[in-house]
Amino acid sequence: MLCVETNRLLHGYLDGELDLASALALEDHLRECAACRERFTGQQALRSAVTGKARYHAAPAGLRQALRTRLAAEGRTRIPAWLQPWPATAMAAAALLIAVTAWVTVHQPPAPTQVAQAPAERKLVYHVNSSDDVATAFRNLSNLLDAAPRTRVVVVAHNSGVDFLISGARDKAGDPYQPAVAQLKSRGVDFRICGNTLGRRNIQADRVIPEAVLVPSGIVEIARLQAEEGYSYIKL
Amino acid sequence: MAANDRCRRFERLVLPHLDAAHNLACWLTRDEDDARDAVQEAFLRAYKFFDSLRGDDARAWFLAIVRNACFTLHGRNRPPGIMEVLDEELHGEELIAPGPTPEAAAMESVDRELVNAALAGLPVEFREALVLRELEGLSYREIALVANIPIGTVMSRLARGRRLLQEAILKRLGKEKTNAMR
Repeated sequence: MLCVETNRLLHGYLDGELDLASALALEDHLRECAACRERFTGQQALRSAVTGKARYHAAPAGLRQALRTRLAAEGRTRIPAWLQPWPATAMAAAALLIAVTAWVTVHQPPAPTQVAQAPAERKLVYHVNSSDDVATAFRNLSNLLDAAPRTRVVVVAHNSGVDFLISGARDKAGDPYQPAVAQLKSRGVDFRICGNTLGRRNIQADRVIPEAVLVPSGIVEIARLQAEEGYSYIKL
Repeated sequence: MAANDRCRRFERLVLPHLDAAHNLACWLTRDEDDARDAVQEAFLRAYKFFDSLRGDDARAWFLAIVRNACFTLHGRNRPPGIMEVLDEELHGEELIAPGPTPEAAAMESVDRELVNAALAGLPVEFREALVLRELEGLSYREIALVANIPIGTVMSRLARGRRLLQEAILKRLGKEKTNAMR
């Protein structure tokens, strides 16, 4: 084998992609030729530098979560249940029932606060995890209820989004939140507040305004509403 | 296929490759926000065309979609010429002739930043081949699938890419030395 022939083969050999005959021929050549051997060692060192030192950009947790949520929504809405042949629907329903039963056993969510709804009714869960979202959420909800009064809405507050449900809380303009919350509540909007967040921030449960219901975990509640009660997820 | 089954199958086959997708997108676009957009776009496109996945290589299939999303995203403001891929087969051996031999000791001493900068500075087709091979451990056949090139081109692209990378690293090392001596 000539040195010039090894230029390309060296890489195939390094990558474990050569056929046996070429690999053996190259090994023979490397035993005899110090210059090619040195090049091979150099390539191995280059590879170690890249595999060991180049940055690996793993997917951020937020991206993974966003895609999972999106996928869950696709799974529910892509093909309406009534379009599916019934055995598939029945099997999916059975699988879902098993999953939900297992889930309920483990997580013990709060008792459902509403009676069964007609299937055609829209159900939306608003995820509020920042105080900055509150004004937008209120405006959005008010418009939504004007346009579609029968929509079931649950607002789940979590992280720094819980502040507006604490008694005495005021917005940036200095106006109290509670009247707006009470008004939306009277139009059928449920407010749920994350117990984990309260615990972490040392906020006593009795400081939560009476319009809001305490749930153990905001995120689990959002997941439960989607998985179990057919809510669609909205993040502002 | 029922929506739920399709969803679960997609989750089982495609979601495990999210890290690979994001890594490839970051290296191709060299921008975390663009990478995120490209991965999200690719994810939805993959779900839409999930039925076109044949065989068992979901990773290569998904990465091919990610790659296309990256190039589509950058298609509008890409400087002309950057994507013009030389036909390695025509240009033959001079392109993959050995460059300066990288001294093993020098390679061991380079720091992460230097390797990252050198790799990021390579023309995109070589960067792509190297990332898929060295960081994702894809086979030539899989790289050929992702980059949509013949297997023979994979080997020459890697050979040339490694030569360019090695030159870039040595050049940067030389600069560091010069600066240190001043």
